[in-house]
Amino acid sequence: MLKKKDKDFWKYREARGVTNFDRFIYLVLFVAGVLSIIRFADWWFRAEHIESLPLFILLSLITWYGITRIFLIWLNYLRVKKPEFVPAEKGLKVAIFTTSSPGEPLSMFDKTLEACANITYPHTTYLLDDTQDPAFKKIAEKHGAVWLNLVGLPGAKAGKVNAALKMIDEDFVLIMDPDHIPFPNFLDKVLGYFKDEKVGFVQVAQTYYNQYRSFTAKGAAEQTYTFYGPTLMGLFGYGSSVAIGANCTFRKKALESIGGHGIGLAEDLITSIRLHAKGWKSVFTPIVVSRGLVPEDFGSFCKQQLKWSRGVFEVLFTEIPQNFKGLNFWQRVSYLSISTYYLVGLTSFLYFTIPFLYFWLGVLPANMNFGEFIIKGAPIVIIAIAIYLFVQRWLSHPDAERGFHWRGMILKTATWPVFLLGSLLSLVNADIPYIPTAKKAVKGLSPYTRPLILHVVLFVLTLAWVIYQRLTTVSEGVLVLTSDQIWGMFAFAGVSVILVAGGIFAAYESKNLPEDEPWQKVDLKKIKTG
Amino acid sequence: MKRTVYRFAFTTGAIITGIILILVFTFLGKKSTGPLEDVFTQVGSAVTDLENSILLSNREPVRSKALNWFDKYRNNKKLMNHPDTVLLGIYDNHYKKSFDHILSLEKSFQFNLPFIQLYTAWGDKPEQRFPVKYAKAIYNLGSTPFITWEPWLNDFDREEHNLPHKEDPNKNGLKDVTNGDYDYYINQWAQDVKDFGKLVFIRLGHEMNDPYRYPWGPQNNKPQDFINFWRYVVTKFKEQGVTNAVWVWSPHPAYLLYSEYYPGNEYVDWVGVGALNYGTVALWSKWWSFSEIFGDYYDWLASFKKPIIITEFGSLAVGGERDKWYSNALSNLPEKYPDLKAVIFYNNDNDNTTLSKSLVWSLNNDTLSIQAVKKAIKTW
Repeated sequence: MLKKKDKDFWKYREARGVTNFDRFIYLVLFVAGVLSIIRFADWWFRAEHIESLPLFILLSLITWYGITRIFLIWLNYLRVKKPEFVPAEKGLKVAIFTTSSPGEPLSMFDKTLEACANITYPHTTYLLDDTQDPAFKKIAEKHGAVWLNLVGLPGAKAGKVNAALKMIDEDFVLIMDPDHIPFPNFLDKVLGYFKDEKVGFVQVAQTYYNQYRSFTAKGAAEQTYTFYGPTLMGLFGYGSSVAIGANCTFRKKALESIGGHGIGLAEDLITSIRLHAKGWKSVFTPIVVSRGLVPEDFGSFCKQQLKWSRGVFEVLFTEIPQNFKGLNFWQRVSYLSISTYYLVGLTSFLYFTIPFLYFWLGVLPANMNFGEFIIKGAPIVIIAIAIYLFVQRWLSHPDAERGFHWRGMILKTATWPVFLLGSLLSLVNADIPYIPTAKKAVKGLSPYTRPLILHVVLFVLTLAWVIYQRLTTVSEGVLVLTSDQIWGMFAFAGVSVILVAGGIFAAYESKNLPEDEPWQKVDLKKIKTG
Repeated sequence: MKRTVYRFAFTTGAIITGIILILVFTFLGKKSTGPLEDVFTQVGSAVTDLENSILLSNREPVRSKALNWFDKYRNNKKLMNHPDTVLLGIYDNHYKKSFDHILSLEKSFQFNLPFIQLYTAWGDKPEQRFPVKYAKAIYNLGSTPFITWEPWLNDFDREEHNLPHKEDPNKNGLKDVTNGDYDYYINQWAQDVKDFGKLVFIRLGHEMNDPYRYPWGPQNNKPQDFINFWRYVVTKFKEQGVTNAVWVWSPHPAYLLYSEYYPGNEYVDWVGVGALNYGTVALWSKWWSFSEIFGDYYDWLASFKKPIIITEFGSLAVGGERDKWYSNALSNLPEKYPDLKAVIFYNNDNDNTTLSKSLVWSLNNDTLSIQAVKKAIKTW
């Protein structure tokens, strides 16, 4: 009998620790997985599989890029680690920064600043404001926060953060995204780790409370669950846990040692890599001490993903070469791995074109028996799923977050044009304008759905064309031999089309999403920290 | 307490799953002919059937319609084994991708070639199973599949099947077959033939009396081994309830000692023989006429009182007049050789099996020979 699920968002939680028993079981799965990859490789790389050499090389690159990523994440889980809690010392001087920009809803700051005021560890909250709207000053004062007027500074929030750093005398700075509502015990749970003089920053899990709003919101949140659990725990185990957006507490001295918070589209990643290169240690602690907003509509989600993919590639091209010397081996592996994550846009695109190349030009990328491909590949997939489910024991809120996360998968597939655009922009070093992640739903069918619609339309037209041809012009001598191949390819292409159609659904649903201010419903008194 | 039980169950489950997974791909998964593969073969086959019944039933078939006359033969084993006419057939090396070469040659001939031949070796690979996809395609085109089934024994994973290590598995290999070493493979094949359900010609271990060519020949096995082998396989098929297999025993007549390889009347349905004129491409060859490579042996072949089939029929162009060769060979053929009931054209345009260079047997681009064949067949 399972215990009743506890899905209360407004309650302090932490991921369970890692036992030796867990490690043993995971090791078994890991070894099994590695063997299955070796076995697949042994089968894959055979001369008899080559139909056309360039296409085979291409297909191999795509496939083995994917498998390498699977292997890297498995490797990462080998060192899943939860830091032992260290109580906060008394008397530390702590600042909380949150930033406001024009267009952001005032009522949200009312809630966030009130929640900051409720944080029990003594601190000073600063509102880093460039709205030039007196109402924001008022709201800061209402909640006892210091209002800083910081207009015309570069970067998303980093410019403001750096300017503010020069004005304060606190030693530790928690940077809160304004859409995040911190719990009263936030600082008590993180400050203790700074006892270690080498610790430069402490990141906590990012969790959300507006998943109920839409398919997009659910999917976007699902994509983050394992990241803010086992993935970052693994990175922490390798000494390379990174700062991600909100909820990161920095040692001011550490930020000063690298000349302030990094500036760019992936500011936090830039800051992490520079701190690691300077020899600072980082801590990730899988605890829920705040909840924020995830994009609710497909357009905002795509914008966010574009910003990240463009920004993360920038880290690959500029930050990694500059900081390579200072990083240790595993940090190098981690940053290389993180910064190439969004190549998935390119590989997905190539993957989707394979069936169309076959339908239009009759070219097959490889001379493989499809059944054999499935049989050899299945163990990897089965073990990948088993590992995915197994590591979910380290989610920070398993009752609410466990699952196959199919919505997240749909969104990931449907954002291939975004990732592709991000990688192409990086390649030619072109800018995208800074777009803040929308805090509220935006109406209208997002332009990012156009490639998806094109994808589906091409599929349907191709299907109709192939059926027509098979009824009329395809010679009998070919017809009798190609049934299984043709329909196998359609099945292959159909899977991605279904996923992409899910993305179109998300975009369509976003169109009719009613206005809402989710923070209005949050009752700060009901947050349980016990 | 419940929580403990749950945890215990979960972790035990995880361990067991891990162990099972390891077992799956270190042992079971390594098999290339596991039950999963059966599923995929069946799925592929079902897709073909489904497309035929849903989509392609709306399309007027051309070839199978033109071959309507052949239906009474191919669906009737008795008539097929004693046909009242000479049946033609073809092997074409492009068959894996398309039968278009065959179709276009038929167009030039202005008649159809009801038998379509394939070659397949014994072994563990998917393509060494009964080629159900091609058999089906051939049947759907209105033809009957003719399969040359070559007992190479070196392509099996011996460890996998718990067979004793052997330096050369072909050495005395036919005895191993009779000992039951390869039963799983034979049974699988028999089952697939049975599932296919239509008549299939199987030419097993051809040219078994040629001491130089194939490993199932006299260099590795005694004649009696071959006979036992043949009977063993045919009996296996019978035991599995296979009734749609037609057995073609096919010696090489130039090596005269072939009677001692004959498995016996109840095990053989047809007697097959190759008739290829290599012309002057090699030192060992010369321009042989059809009566030299076939006619001289006809009486011997006919002495088995079985219908005779020429399993590979053709001439190269080097060293003589090719169209005349065809004309001489085919003119009045039924009268000259009354027991010869089938001829299969060897239409290979890239034959690397005998010489280091590629030989062109195919007739597709040889208008003169095509005309000669057409004309000669009109004399029948």
